[in-house]
Amino acid sequence: MIDFTRRKVLGVAGGTVVGEVSPTGTIERAAADDASDLNLFVKISAALTGIGEKRLAPDVDPIQVKHDYFNQAKSDPGFEPLMQIARAAPDANSAAEKIMNNADPQIKFLGRSIILAWYLGVWYEPTVLAQVPAPFPVNPMKVVSPVAYTQGWVWRVAQAHPMGYSEQRFGYWSDEPLSLDDFIKNPVKP
Amino acid sequence: MCADKVDPLDAIIVGSGVSGVLIAKALGRAGKKVLILEAGEKLPPDINGYMNRFLTATAKVPESPYPPEIFTDSKLTDPATVNAGRPTVLSLGHWYKFGDARDPKQAYLIQKGTLPFASTYERINGGSARHWLGTSLRFIPADFEMKSRYNRFTDWPIKYNDLERWYGLAEKEIGVAADVEDQNYLGIHFSSQYPMPKIPLSRVDMAVAKGMTTLKVPGIGLDSTEWKVSSTPAARNSQPYQDRRVCAGNTNCIPICPIQAKYDPSVTLADALRTGNVTVWNRSVASQLVVDEAGRVSGVDFIEYADDQGPIVRRGRITAKVFILAGNAIETPRLLLMSKNERTPNGVANRRDGEGVVGKFLMDHPLYLGWALMPQPVWGYRGPLSTAGIEVCRDGDFRRDRGAFRIEIGNEGWNFATLDPDTTTLDLVNGLNHGGLNSDPPRALFGAALVKELNDKLSRQFRIGFLVEQSPEATNTVTLAEHATDGLGLPRPQIDYNLSDYTKQGMAAAKTTASAIFKNLGATEFTQPADKDDPCSFEWPSDQGQTTRIKYFGAGHIIGTHRMGTSANDSVVDDMQRSWDHENLYLVGSGTFPTSATANPTLTIAALCLRTADHIVRRVLN
Repeated sequence: MIDFTRRKVLGVAGGTVVGEVSPTGTIERAAADDASDLNLFVKISAALTGIGEKRLAPDVDPIQVKHDYFNQAKSDPGFEPLMQIARAAPDANSAAEKIMNNADPQIKFLGRSIILAWYLGVWYEPTVLAQVPAPFPVNPMKVVSPVAYTQGWVWRVAQAHPMGYSEQRFGYWSDEPLSLDDFIKNPVKP
Repeated sequence: MCADKVDPLDAIIVGSGVSGVLIAKALGRAGKKVLILEAGEKLPPDINGYMNRFLTATAKVPESPYPPEIFTDSKLTDPATVNAGRPTVLSLGHWYKFGDARDPKQAYLIQKGTLPFASTYERINGGSARHWLGTSLRFIPADFEMKSRYNRFTDWPIKYNDLERWYGLAEKEIGVAADVEDQNYLGIHFSSQYPMPKIPLSRVDMAVAKGMTTLKVPGIGLDSTEWKVSSTPAARNSQPYQDRRVCAGNTNCIPICPIQAKYDPSVTLADALRTGNVTVWNRSVASQLVVDEAGRVSGVDFIEYADDQGPIVRRGRITAKVFILAGNAIETPRLLLMSKNERTPNGVANRRDGEGVVGKFLMDHPLYLGWALMPQPVWGYRGPLSTAGIEVCRDGDFRRDRGAFRIEIGNEGWNFATLDPDTTTLDLVNGLNHGGLNSDPPRALFGAALVKELNDKLSRQFRIGFLVEQSPEATNTVTLAEHATDGLGLPRPQIDYNLSDYTKQGMAAAKTTASAIFKNLGATEFTQPADKDDPCSFEWPSDQGQTTRIKYFGAGHIIGTHRMGTSANDSVVDDMQRSWDHENLYLVGSGTFPTSATANPTLTIAALCLRTADHIVRRVLN
């Protein structure tokens, strides 16, 4: 179980190492590498998940769940090889192909863990996913953070919402939902 | 011993669940002094703590938001170390594995019967209805007359008409949303209106409703049934009510409504406290009742503890004019049976001659679950967990032979059925097939292909659940375990449970009906038979001379163990829920139901408790 504080629930410093709040209140950036890696991670995640990049990490993002997944993935031994593929590939989709079809299980199953994290808010260890037969239910696993559950993409792919986290009004369930594209494609700016 | 001074009390209530708090509020409003002994932690100022527990829970089971901790170091917490423990559905797993129902180190209830009792409960402020669905159906008149009409079991000592007015008052008290025009089937009639209009139907409901006019289910006594889908009365705000918000369709009624649009008894507990006449002592477990030479209950011993697995901080005995046990139909008989001494050799309220039935006739609604994929999207995972059902099948001559059922239409896709959407997501990403939707051969998908496949499958999922009437059997019992105690050293409840042929016949009829409904809708059924090492299952003959394995879930309805009746010869309480043996003792809740019927019990519990409270105020305490 993760011990968390109300601060984390409000989206501040949710396990991130990208920035620390200095006494004067300005955010100090860690190494520039980290910031560009984070952006690349989000791009690759969009290709892996099939969800628009601006949905995974909106410009206005009070929740910043990308940090939770980035840091979780970063602690895995397959992360650097995976990121090397990402840096070398001409675009995110071909990087995703190379990752998800990779002969190296460390890379392939880390790709699967990353998809599951964005979809479910839960971290499944790549080594556990790689077991044959893969155990079910998978144990142990952890909810990455309380907000991760509320940001899970599987619910939006279902044209719904996380159970326990509706952002809609009374009676919406009598109507058809918005289209799948409305839920997952990058918003079209006016 | 107890050093606290308390004002002379009119009533002590054991338990702050729905029964206890409704009575506490009524007594408090009438100026009576009430003390509630609650085994669990105190009412928090808001539900944020419980919501956060829910959000981080990996297993989002009904008990997941509420203490005590289900897990310790990735294993189920040993119930012997927990002061006010309770069962968890996670202890109903396969034999010899995680959650073995027969391992006392994993299961709070000591399960000695042929089958495990599959329902669970909370011991906390607000009680088990913290995580109820909200379904607020009335019983039908026939439910009170099983013996007269169908020569089965027993009649209740009261009839629908005796309770009708109290149903109306209960519907106002907890805030039920429904329209009378939808609800006057099978003899139900109303002298009042519901306080709020009905909750709108979901897309799933509408899709199921389309198939009703052509549905035929032969061979189970429902040949002439005119099938229809009915809106389900629910304690869920369709308008602002009691300063609580309108439902926003969080699809999370079980285990916790994030905005308390669903009524839960903590609302009434807060009302009771506001009267200024009700006090609660939390983390205080009633351990024994004491009876005087006149046969009146003269006191209740309690043990107060510091935290879930922490030290005992106080023991005491308190007294009042009236004692009301509202601890659910397992914990109440447990307390009664723990209260053995010279005057009450078989426990309190249990006769002195060995013929008492405290702890006997334990019932549930065994729940049959069927699930399928619709040919077109119905978009589950939206709206309240259930907004409609099929009620026309709850009565008929077939009740001579088999348990009746009601049908609950679920709005949560296959979440209950297969733990979706997680299971199918894991299947499609990792190339498995635990959910049944990724077979021949399993594929591992990502990107746009994953989105398309998941959307197609999740949007067409739905499930229906059948609440089957369980027969009252004297052999289904709650007793005290001889070799298993809780953290306070008190004996844990021992359960001896089985399903009779009458009940199994009802489950089999449910299975037949589920398949017929799916077929009629053009839906593809995916219901899995149970596997043989699932303890909550039984073999039953199937059509072709073979057998099939049917799984039952618990509905969370704990019924029958201190039944009401017309005399002390065959019951524990009268129709006011008052003990035959001790005139100042009341045993309230669904433990008093002599039969289970098919409706979810909470509204009937509430009606009976309002009636009992009124009786106590006007005739006992004035």
